[in-house]
Amino acid sequence: MNKSLQKIYFDPYLFFSLFLLSTLGLFFLFSASNMDTSIVLKQFIYIVAGFILMITISQLDPDIFRRNAVLFLTFSFLLLGITYLFGPEINGAQRWIRLGPFSFQSSEFLKLAVPIFLANFLFDKKLPIQKKEIGISLLVIVCCFLFVFRQPDLGTALIIAFSGLFVLFLSGLSWTFIGGSFVLLVVSSPFIWNIILQPFQRQRIATFFNPESDPFGASWNIIQSKVAIGSGGLLGKGFGEGSQTHLNFLPETETDFIFSVIGEEFGFLGVLLLLSIYLFILLRCLYLALSARDRFCRLVIGGLSLTFAANLIINLCMVVGLLPVVGMPMPFISKGGSSLISLFLAFGIIVSMGTHKKFLPQ
Amino acid sequence: MIFEERQVEKNNFSVRAALLFGLMVLGLIAVLVQVFALQVSGYSDYQLAALNNKNYAVPVQSLRGEIYDRNGNVLVKNQPTYDLITRPNLIVDIDSFIEKIKPVISLSEKEISRYKKLQKDKAFANKELVLKKDLSAEEISRFQVRSFNFQNAFIAQRFRRVSDYPNIFSHVLGYTSRIDSDFESMPEIPRSHWKDVELNYAHGLIKGQSGLEEEYEDHLRGRHGQRIFEMNARGQLIKSLSFTQPKKGLDLYTHLDIGAQKSAAKFLGNRKGAVVAIDLESGGINVLYSSPTYSINELSNGMSENNFQTLINNSDKPFFNRAVQGRYPPASTIKPAIGMYGLSNNIVNWDFEIEDPGFFTLPETGRVFRGWRKGGHGKVNMHKAFLVSSNTYFTSLAYQADIVDLSNYLSSFGFGKKVCKDCFAEDPAFVPSPEWKYSIMNKGWVKGDTVNLGIGQGYLVSTPMQLANYAAILATKGHYIQPSLASVDNQKKSLKIWQDEKISNSDWKKMHEALLGVIESDYGTARSIRNLKEFQVAGKSGTAELVSLDSKEAYQDVRTSELLRDHSIIIAFGPMPNPRYAVSVVIENGESGGAVAGPVAIEVLKSLINE
Repeated sequence: MNKSLQKIYFDPYLFFSLFLLSTLGLFFLFSASNMDTSIVLKQFIYIVAGFILMITISQLDPDIFRRNAVLFLTFSFLLLGITYLFGPEINGAQRWIRLGPFSFQSSEFLKLAVPIFLANFLFDKKLPIQKKEIGISLLVIVCCFLFVFRQPDLGTALIIAFSGLFVLFLSGLSWTFIGGSFVLLVVSSPFIWNIILQPFQRQRIATFFNPESDPFGASWNIIQSKVAIGSGGLLGKGFGEGSQTHLNFLPETETDFIFSVIGEEFGFLGVLLLLSIYLFILLRCLYLALSARDRFCRLVIGGLSLTFAANLIINLCMVVGLLPVVGMPMPFISKGGSSLISLFLAFGIIVSMGTHKKFLPQ
Repeated sequence: MIFEERQVEKNNFSVRAALLFGLMVLGLIAVLVQVFALQVSGYSDYQLAALNNKNYAVPVQSLRGEIYDRNGNVLVKNQPTYDLITRPNLIVDIDSFIEKIKPVISLSEKEISRYKKLQKDKAFANKELVLKKDLSAEEISRFQVRSFNFQNAFIAQRFRRVSDYPNIFSHVLGYTSRIDSDFESMPEIPRSHWKDVELNYAHGLIKGQSGLEEEYEDHLRGRHGQRIFEMNARGQLIKSLSFTQPKKGLDLYTHLDIGAQKSAAKFLGNRKGAVVAIDLESGGINVLYSSPTYSINELSNGMSENNFQTLINNSDKPFFNRAVQGRYPPASTIKPAIGMYGLSNNIVNWDFEIEDPGFFTLPETGRVFRGWRKGGHGKVNMHKAFLVSSNTYFTSLAYQADIVDLSNYLSSFGFGKKVCKDCFAEDPAFVPSPEWKYSIMNKGWVKGDTVNLGIGQGYLVSTPMQLANYAAILATKGHYIQPSLASVDNQKKSLKIWQDEKISNSDWKKMHEALLGVIESDYGTARSIRNLKEFQVAGKSGTAELVSLDSKEAYQDVRTSELLRDHSIIIAFGPMPNPRYAVSVVIENGESGGAVAGPVAIEVLKSLINE
């Protein structure tokens, strides 16, 4: 017992791969921001803070998260409420809370709070999960989704919904229920299209399926992104040499479309290398989940790492033109403090859950 | 939970986690496949798209070739002027810039307001903007001395298209006019980029609008160069990536002769009319003059709307190129062709004689066709008929002609056709036929129409160009060369042979003798001009009647109105017996052919022969 108290909880694989990823991210951001050192410096500070936070968090015993799961969710909702009441409106969306010089996106915390809450709610339930439990879980997920969706922030709302659904699925949701809801989703899709989606979101989806319809308007972003990536070729145009990036043809180079910058300047080999790092992280997380000490830890590690993966894949698919444009940053690479901090927190929790072992009483 | 249950749960979790993680890996693979499709399979397309995004090509205007006369004297040239060009993106405060430059360069309020209006957009896009055109020598030196004060401005050379003879060559050289773009000549540059063309002419992009400038547009234009800029998504020019020098157009060497053209202009004076002269050896057109004229320099470099309207509305129609567009009845100048038709069809021979009472009466209707001399010329054979220009001889010849044959015969001399290889907007004029008359007037062809044709009146019309070409055919005995203004690229001269097997060498000889007699003999109708020169000239004069009248007395009444007076016409060639030049002169409302048009023809021949 004494020994384990003195131990530092640390996963070298995740630590070094995240270190590599965020260091590369700084270089990419330097080019993407047209060599704006102040942006890179700010990002650097967030990364350093993120690592400290991650290492600190990973020292906490998983039980602390379990016991405080409801508190986390309540706290996150509180932040959402504050955002709704006092948050400034930026570009027609109310997503931020301003705290002195800092501002952060309150919905980021839900990405953590929702899976932890559901894992806590479901970890001791019998298999298969009962209707009542499913109902409560879905209610929480839908509430969180809607709160964020109406900010509006479709990207984050989707990720939060995914984070909840992953946990629900991993905890043993029955296959008949999954099949049934899939049918329901297909049936209700016209309703979603017409009533839930905003006009600009409908437009994005329409242009996704027919990008040539409006080359200078709504589909400009995706066309320019494809041109940027495609013109990178096998080896890329070289660091700082991307004409699409530096002559402003590419939109949102520092945030959502930073992958296009990487594709343009480092080519297919660069992309291959980068995606390998992500794949390695993902597989390491799977390993940690499978070898975690209990069901709660498994569910949390699974939920958080799959959320991270979904976040990555939605961003990539959008940038390369496989999915309609939704606002979603590239994890650990895109500019943005809130996103970075919440990612490091998530990995702190993952490491904590993956490295704390205990022998359960028989 | 009991152990077994935990184990079941754990297995269940493992399966589901593997499933979801597997899905994510699949997602990553899908992304990788798509990236491969973009970067490896689609590379060339996307690379091109990226280049098209950023590369902004603008044309660089080429200078037009110059135009020379046959002695190598320049007719149209590019004359340098100097413009003050600014870089608005380097100007911090536009008002203080204007204040600072005002003492150096004189600027009108209009120029300043135009500049202020345009500079903002140009500054944003990093483009250049002209502040003042056509600087004076003083302004240039004032600016040069202070140029260190104006890092944002510089002087650049711009050209004007000018001729030293802007008025006498106006119709034949033609003028250039400003166009918005020249995209047909450079299809690789998008149309919209022409608004940013780098100019070499002060007047802007120019294009041949008439005359040789139009006819030889492709030859003269040269090839525009291009500059490729790097441009960002907002349309700002970042830097120049490459520059391809424009290629100056080829010079055009014409057959025109400044001296002879000057003579034509001088001796035609302010009368309306046209002169065409052809070098028989080359077919080259030495003179092509139409009066009245206008200044091509003004037109090519921006004429005021007022002056332009005055020109357009001038009742003498200065824009009308009478030399190739004026339709005139050939009158008596047609008689050699009619005579040859008679010889060819055995209607007459050189010895055939008639008694000319001064008129010809059409047997069918009793209509009377009068000659120019009351009482007639007595006994007339063909030689004499040419000398004295007996209408009766040729009307009675034409009376026996078949109209279809005669029309074709006249066409073989170039009437009713375009004859010049490179004349701008040449009019083919007209040879009438029975079908034509029927379709236009719904009336049948009558004998009187044919008889009228025999003396070059009635429906037959010709241009001075055609008359000169016809004179050349007569002068060369059919071995003529198609007339042209310029010869480019060692183009083969198209030797044309006018041939009629029934016209023998001796017929040709007699024809030349007769036409020589028209001017050189004591009886010739154009003998008044024989003493104006030292060499011998053959020819045929004519007086084209604008109103059909039965008597000289009636004409005296008509004469009072100048516009109804007869046109004076002559065709001539010389020096005889080995002619080198053929010429035609038409003077509108000039009356008697030989005495009025004759001296002009002689003066032109003199300056060509004596050169």
